[in-house]
Amino acid sequence: MRFITMDVTKCVVCRNCEYACSFQQTGDFRREDSNIRVEYYDDVKICLPLTCMHCDDSWCLEICPASAITRNVKTGAIEINSERCAGCKMCILACPFGNIHFDKINMVSRKCNLCEGEPNCVSFCISGALQYTESKNSYQNNRQIFQRFIENL
Amino acid sequence: MAGSSEKKEHYTSMCRMCDNRCGINVYVENGCIVEITGLKEHKWNHGRLCVKGRLGVDLVNAPDRILKPLKRVGSEWEEIDLDQAYDEIAERIKKVQATWGNRAMGVWKGEALGFLTQEQLSRRFIHAIGSPNYFSNDSQCFVSRWIGYALVTGDWATQDFINSDCAVIWGSNPPYSQPNLTQSILKGRKKGGKLIVIDVRLSAIARQADEFIQILPGTDGALALGFARQLIEDDTICHTFIEKYTLGYETYARYVKEFTPERVEKETGIPAAKVVQLARLIGACRPRVCIYAGNGLEHHENGINNIRAIACLDGLLGNLDEVGGNFTAEKPNLRNISLYEEKPLRHLGPIGADKFPVLYDFRQECHTMSVMDTILNETPYPLKGMILGGANPALTNPNTRKVIKALKSLDLFVVREIFMTETAELADYVLPGATYLEQSELHVHPIHQIIGLSPEIVTFPDCDNEYIFWKKLASRLGVEDYFPWENKDALNKWLLKDTEITVEKLFNHPEGYEYKPRRFHKYREKELPTPSGKFEFVSSYLKKYGYPYLPEYIPPTYMNEPDPDYPYILVTGARKVFYTHGRNRNFKRCRTAIPGPDIEIHPIDAEKLEVKTGDVVTVTSTVGSMDIPVKVVHSSNILPGVTQITHGWKESNVNLITHDDRNDPISGFPLMKSVEVKIERKAVNVNN
Amino acid sequence: MQVVIIGNSAAGLSGLEAFRKKDQSSSVTIVTREGEVPYSKVLLPYYLLGKIPYANLFTRDKNYYARLNAKCITGNVVKLLPEQQAVLLESGTLLPYDKLLIATGSSPVKPPIPGLSGKGIYHLWTLADVENLAPYYNKGKRVVVLGSGFVSLQGAWAALSRGLDVSVIELMDRIMPRVLDDHAAALLATRMIKSGVDLRINTFTREIERTGDEKLVLHFKNGKSLTSDFIIVGTGVRPNIEFTAGTGLKIDAGIVVNKQMETTLPGVYAAGDVAQVPSASGGDPVVHALWPTAIETGSIAGTAMASGNSRYRGSLNMNVTQMFDITVASMGEFMDIEGSESWTDENLPEDQYLKIVLKDGVPIGAICAGGSELISTLGMLRPLIREKVQLQGNPGMLKALLASNIAQHQQTFIKQ
Repeated sequence: MRFITMDVTKCVVCRNCEYACSFQQTGDFRREDSNIRVEYYDDVKICLPLTCMHCDDSWCLEICPASAITRNVKTGAIEINSERCAGCKMCILACPFGNIHFDKINMVSRKCNLCEGEPNCVSFCISGALQYTESKNSYQNNRQIFQRFIENL
Repeated sequence: MAGSSEKKEHYTSMCRMCDNRCGINVYVENGCIVEITGLKEHKWNHGRLCVKGRLGVDLVNAPDRILKPLKRVGSEWEEIDLDQAYDEIAERIKKVQATWGNRAMGVWKGEALGFLTQEQLSRRFIHAIGSPNYFSNDSQCFVSRWIGYALVTGDWATQDFINSDCAVIWGSNPPYSQPNLTQSILKGRKKGGKLIVIDVRLSAIARQADEFIQILPGTDGALALGFARQLIEDDTICHTFIEKYTLGYETYARYVKEFTPERVEKETGIPAAKVVQLARLIGACRPRVCIYAGNGLEHHENGINNIRAIACLDGLLGNLDEVGGNFTAEKPNLRNISLYEEKPLRHLGPIGADKFPVLYDFRQECHTMSVMDTILNETPYPLKGMILGGANPALTNPNTRKVIKALKSLDLFVVREIFMTETAELADYVLPGATYLEQSELHVHPIHQIIGLSPEIVTFPDCDNEYIFWKKLASRLGVEDYFPWENKDALNKWLLKDTEITVEKLFNHPEGYEYKPRRFHKYREKELPTPSGKFEFVSSYLKKYGYPYLPEYIPPTYMNEPDPDYPYILVTGARKVFYTHGRNRNFKRCRTAIPGPDIEIHPIDAEKLEVKTGDVVTVTSTVGSMDIPVKVVHSSNILPGVTQITHGWKESNVNLITHDDRNDPISGFPLMKSVEVKIERKAVNVNN
Repeated sequence: MQVVIIGNSAAGLSGLEAFRKKDQSSSVTIVTREGEVPYSKVLLPYYLLGKIPYANLFTRDKNYYARLNAKCITGNVVKLLPEQQAVLLESGTLLPYDKLLIATGSSPVKPPIPGLSGKGIYHLWTLADVENLAPYYNKGKRVVVLGSGFVSLQGAWAALSRGLDVSVIELMDRIMPRVLDDHAAALLATRMIKSGVDLRINTFTREIERTGDEKLVLHFKNGKSLTSDFIIVGTGVRPNIEFTAGTGLKIDAGIVVNKQMETTLPGVYAAGDVAQVPSASGGDPVVHALWPTAIETGSIAGTAMASGNSRYRGSLNMNVTQMFDITVASMGEFMDIEGSESWTDENLPEDQYLKIVLKDGVPIGAICAGGSELISTLGMLRPLIREKVQLQGNPGMLKALLASNIAQHQQTFIKQ
C-alpha cells in the first residue's frame, strides 16, 4: 500500500500541510483541525512533521471500545468513523506516535484517512518533505528518514 | 481540496497567486470554479501547490469582489454602466491631456490582475496616448536585483538548484515568497549539496540550512566582498573564466583586499572565522554554486552595489551558466508589444528618469516614489491622471501619508481592482478587474525553458480582461490602431508568430512546452549582453553617470551615523505564508491562521522595553508613527536591536514610517529594510 | 476440539477473534448472561451523556458469531466441573469443553451502608444498570454519586451535562485515588466544582433513608444529610469467580494465570477483569479491570488456546477520560515511588499538568491533566515504558525526543 513518509531533513515548517489538512476537514485554516502536525524546536532547529503511519497491527483499531476504527479496504487507511466514536480518547493513548487528535467541538477523535488515496498534506507540501509512496510498511521508510534526525538530537 | 469529480469540467492552467506560476488543475462546476489542485505533470511544481494556490478559488468567488463599475459621487460610490464608465473616463483623459499635455497621464501596473502581457499592454497604451509615464511596483521590488546582476552579467540568471553542490539563499525566504523553489533547493541538498542561508531573520528555509548566517541589515555587500577576498586568497577561483570572459578583475581584486575577515566581522556582525569557513565551503563547491539574491537586499541605500558585489562572486566561482550554478536561460522569441522602439518618448522626461537614469535605461521604469512629489508639486511638470490596475500603493509604497495625499489630489484617478483596496478607495472610478482565471496569458519558466498558456476559464459580465480594457479605452481615445487584435487569443497568436510555438501546442502541453533545450556556457560562443560583452567586475557605464566604478561598499546610515533617538533597526516586508504583497488579507480563513500584524522583537529587547507578546508598541521613525502588537520571537529568530514588520496590513501599516526619499542612488529603491526607529510601549493592551 | 468461552465482553470477544485467526475448524460456544449482541461497557456513560445513541452501544452486529463460526448461548454458568471438563449452566445444561476461557469480568461491590439497595440505587456497570438509570437522567433531577472512581465520575459528568444536580461523595480526602495523583486529582476537582458539582470529600455515609415521596436521604457521619432522586454506587469491583468455588482453581486477587493466560487447571484459561495477570512493570501480578488489559489478555488466551505462540508482556495500567472540560490520563507507575525521579513539564500553563516518572532514566509511568494533546505524549511514552527504554536527549523538547526514541525502536513498538 502507499504511505505518507515524512522527511525531517526537508521540512521547513511552512505549515502548508497543516492548513491544507485543516481545510479538508473544516474548510478553515485552523492548525488544531489538522491531522498532520508539525513541531518545530527553535533551540535546535528541528522540524518534525508527524502523521498517521497506518500501522499493520493498529493498536488504536483493536482497542477502540466503540468499534469506530476500521481499515479502508481501498486505500488501506486506518479511519475513525466519527458517527460511532464516543470520544473516550483511548485511541489517542494507544497511538505510539501521537498521531490521533481530539476534536473539541464535536468531541471525537480525529486522524489521517489518506484523503481517499490522495493526501492533501502531500499535495500541498512545497518542500517535498512529505511523499506518498508505495512501500511494504511505512515504518521502514520513516525509520531511515528519522535516523538522520536522531543523530541531530 | 478533494480529488476531482466526474461531473466537474477540468482545465489546466498556471497559478498567479504569486509569481511562481505553478501548474494547476482548475475544476468548474455549474460555471463556477470550485477547486484548484497542483498539476502533477507540470515540470515546474510536479503537482505540489501551496495553500495560497488553493486560495484562487476564494479569490475568484470572493463575496466582496467588485463586480460593477463604480463612480465616486461626493463621498459615495455609485454603480454605473460599464460603457458609460469607459466613455466618462475617456472624456476625462482627453480633458487632462488638453489641459496639461499628454505626459500628464500615467499608468501603473500592479500584479493582482495579470503579469507579463499586462505589463506590455500598459506600456503600449501609455505610449500610444503620448506619455512615457509607465509605473509599476518594479521600481521598488525585483528590478534592482535585476539591474544589479545585469550590470555585471548582462542578465539575471536563474538557479539550477537541483544540480547544485552549494545553494546560497541570500535575503530570501522561498517557502513563503516563492514556494516552489523550496522543493528544488531541498532536492539539491538531499543529493548532498550544502545549503547556506544568509538573512537577517531565521526564515523558514533557514531551518534546513547547513549554515545559517545572521547578518546585520544592509551590510551584505561587505560580506560578499569578504568572500571574494578569501576566494582570491585561497585561490579557489576560476582563472579561465576570469581571464577570458571578465573585465576589471585586477581593479576589483585590489579593492576587495580591504575586506579582511576582521573588517567583515565589524561591518556585518558575522564572526571572522565564519566568513573564512563559508568562503572555503563555497570555493570548494565551485563551479556548482547557486546564489539566489532575494528582496532582502534591495531596500537599502547601498542596495545596487551590494547586489553587484554578490553578482561578482559568479565571476570568481565560474558558476555562471553552469550546470548546478546560476543558469542564464534563453528566452522564447516572443514579439514585443511595447512601443519603445516604434515610439520612444524619453525626450518627454519620464518621471524619475532624470534622477535615476539607470532605472530607466535598464527597465524603462518610471519612479513611483518620485511621482508622488511630481503630483503634489507639479515638478518637473504636472501629472494629473493615473490609471492603476491591481496595485495597492496606499499600502505598499513607502511614506503612506504622502502617497494618499498625492493620489487623492489627482484630477483623474482610475483603479481597476478585484477588491476595494486602500488605493481603490482614493479613486474617481473603480472598474472591476478580471483575475488570472478569467483571462489567458503566456507564462515562461526560464529554469526549464518552458512556456505555457493559462486559459480563460470563467468570465464575469463587467470584468473585462486586460486586453479588452485597454482596447476599449484606446478606441475611445482615437488610438485603436495600436490595439488591432480582436481579443486576447488573437493577441497571444500574434505574440507567438515569430516562433514555431502555437497556441494549440501549448494547450497540448500542459506540463510546459520546451521552447528550446537547455544549453550551458553560452558565453563561450556569444558575448555577454554587457557594454563590454564581458562579465563586468567594473562598470564604465555607471562611472559615466558618476556612480561607483566598482561594487563599492558603503555601510548603512544606522551604522555610519547612528541616531541615539532612533536606536532600533526596522526591517520590513518579510513574507507570511498566505499573503502575497498586500493581498489576501480579506480572506477569512487566512485571518484564522494569521489574524493580524505584529512586530517581531528579540527577547532581550522585549525585556528592555518591558513588553510581552500581544502588548502594543508605538514605532516611530523620522517619517511617522504607527501602533502595532508585539510578537516576542525566539532569540534565534532575529538579532537584538533588529525588529521586523511585514507590510500589507491596513490596521498597522508599516509604510506609514518608511522612507520614500532615502533611495539607493543608482536604482532609486527606497530605504525600507534598515529603517532607524524608536519603540515605545503603549499603555493600552490591544485586547482592551 | 470444543471450546467454551464464558463472557462476551472485551476479553471474551478478543479471545474468540484471536482464536479464530489460528483455528477455523474447532467448535466454539460463547456463554453470556447479558444477551447475545455484545455491547461495550466503556460506552455506557457516553450513552447517558447523550453523545451516542442506544444502538451504538452494540459494537458487533447480529451476524458476528455466524461469521466467526461460533455459537452464542444465553445462560448463567453456576459451576465449573474440571474433572468432567464441563461447565454447568443454571438451566441444567452441561457444556463440555476441551479448552475453556473464563472471561466473566467483574461486578461492582456495594459498601455495607444500611438502606443502600432497592429502587433508585444503581451501579453504572452493565447495560441493565444503564437502562435503569436512563429514565432518571432528566434535567432537574438530583443524583448522588457514591465514590469518585473513574466510572462514577463519568456518570456524574454525564448527569451534570444533562442538567441534573450532582453531588459526589468520597470517603477519602481526594478524588480518583487509584487513577490520579494528588496534583491531577486537585486539577480535576477544581474543574468539577467550577462546573457545578457538589463535591464532598472525607465524607462517610452512615445510612440511607427513604421518604414517602420516593426520595432518598443520605445521612453522613458528620451530621449532615442530603436528599436525592437516585444514587449511583461506584465503590470498586470484584472478579466474577463464584462458580469456580471448590474446584481447586488457584485464586489470589483474581484467577492466577501464567503468561499464556493459563490457569492452574488444565485446559482452562482466564482473561480480563477476572484474571490476575503479570504486570508490565515486572512486579507482582495484578488484577487490572481495564479495557486495554481485557483486549490484550483475551487475545493472548485465544491464541494460546489455538496452540499459537503468545506470551503476555504484562498489563500496563492506563486510564484516560475527558470530563468537566478537562482531560485526565495516567499510565504505568505514575506515583513517585522509592528510587524514582520525576520530570514535570514546566512550560505548561498552570491548569495543565504533565509528569513523567522515571527510574534509572527509564520511564515507568506518566500522568497528565489539562488539554487533550497531553494524552498523545503519554501515548508516545507507552512503548518506551513497555520496552524499558532509557530516555535520552534534551527533555525540553519532549515530543521530538519521544519521536526519536520511538523511531529507533519502532518495529518492536507498534503493538502493545
